[in-house]
Amino acid sequence: MIRITHQREKCIGCNYCVEIAYDRWRMSKKDGKCTLIEGKNKKGFFTAVVGDDEYIANVNAAKACPVKIIKVEKVK
Amino acid sequence: MNKQIEIMAPAGSYESLMAALQGRADSIYFGIEQLNMRAKAANNFTFDDLEKIAEICNSNNVRSYLTLNTIIYDHDLSLMKRIVDKAKAAGITAVIASDQAVINYASSISFEVHISTQTNVTNLETIKFFSHFADVMVLARELSLIQVKSITDGIKKENITGPSGNLVEIEIFAHGALCMAVSGKCYLSLHTNNSSANRGACVQNCRRTYEVKDEEGNELLIDNEYIMSPKDLCTIGFIDDIINAGVKVLKIEGRGRAPEYVKTVTECYREAADAYLDGTYSKEKIEGWNKKLATVYNRGFWDGYYLGQELGEWSEGHGSQATTRKKFLGQGVKYFPKINIAEFKIETHSLSVGDNVIITGPTTGVIEMVIKELRVDDKSVEKVEKGINFSTPIDQIIRPSDKLYKVVEAE
Repeated sequence: MIRITHQREKCIGCNYCVEIAYDRWRMSKKDGKCTLIEGKNKKGFFTAVVGDDEYIANVNAAKACPVKIIKVEKVK
Repeated sequence: MNKQIEIMAPAGSYESLMAALQGRADSIYFGIEQLNMRAKAANNFTFDDLEKIAEICNSNNVRSYLTLNTIIYDHDLSLMKRIVDKAKAAGITAVIASDQAVINYASSISFEVHISTQTNVTNLETIKFFSHFADVMVLARELSLIQVKSITDGIKKENITGPSGNLVEIEIFAHGALCMAVSGKCYLSLHTNNSSANRGACVQNCRRTYEVKDEEGNELLIDNEYIMSPKDLCTIGFIDDIINAGVKVLKIEGRGRAPEYVKTVTECYREAADAYLDGTYSKEKIEGWNKKLATVYNRGFWDGYYLGQELGEWSEGHGSQATTRKKFLGQGVKYFPKINIAEFKIETHSLSVGDNVIITGPTTGVIEMVIKELRVDDKSVEKVEKGINFSTPIDQIIRPSDKLYKVVEAE
């Protein structure tokens, strides 16, 4: 499993993560920031634990993020 | 408010907003959320600040402009519309826009539009085009004053009016950072960090030093390693020429800069414009302003492109060449209004009688003063060390949100 974390408040809505890892990210029409699908909010940090098959796409999304607010880590 | 020459100050925070008012700005500009050119800045205003900003500005008879001047994509449209709607409802004066989406939408709901420098307005036909939407236009930073004058003359001659029915007003950047890109359209930050300058996320590659080597590894000798970092623009020495070129609005750059910067620069330009208008603009005064401007953050100064230029002048170092620096000392504790005494706590360094200090805060703005008296436990002292609470007479209210700094000579 992998854990994806998103510090949403700092998102500038560039849409890279949506383009790179479409299954896990959506653009919010409401505030123009990206949303981590199934992410749970804890004090502004949204977290989702998902399958290993999403690892590569989300690592690439994290690399592309201009404000470096996406973290992807492997968990047991 | 002086209708003849408008001094527009940057407000990146409430501290800077109050500092702009203290510096007697006629107008301020600010951004909220992510669709402005300082989207990456640490303290950005949000939706919830719009009403308060409008209220502060309106009650001080100062115009307020919201910057919404990034590139806009389809997924930004609903946020953009929400921001424009809310700004209008809150009583913000106008929106500064560069993308046609924003220009068109704001204009469709009859919200005043100003054309951002990002739009690269460089000629009279473009002014005519945008006059269908906007009353104020910021010219490209790369024009000479001769070109600026030809545009303002053309506006009068051809009677080019904006939606308000008045002649289109021309605004230029008068002071602050310049970048190497034409009208800020720069690809470097996106190329190296995936972080687009045109979405307000510039990582400032141009401010670093570079070596230039050819394919065989031979280094090109250059006199200055800061080959892409221009010095800061300063026009206070030829503000007469600028006003004579028909410019109505002087914009000060610096939403990312400190409140004392905003206050000092705004004050100098207000004084300079007033001096020009009342016929007292003089060499001695210019020298005084230049000295004062050099005390706050700067990369060294040059005239920009306005006087027709030898090529760009490049910065000689990284960061500021200001002649003074501020050192954080501590915070406000309490204010005793009946006796005009403020209490502070020194959290680091020390403070002595005779020191120059700056106090900044979201409501206080900027106070600059010399410490005349220090009291600890009701006894007069010469010096206060770290960890100690002291009191000193100040005729303005001090709040716990206020920060106290000592002004020291830059090393």
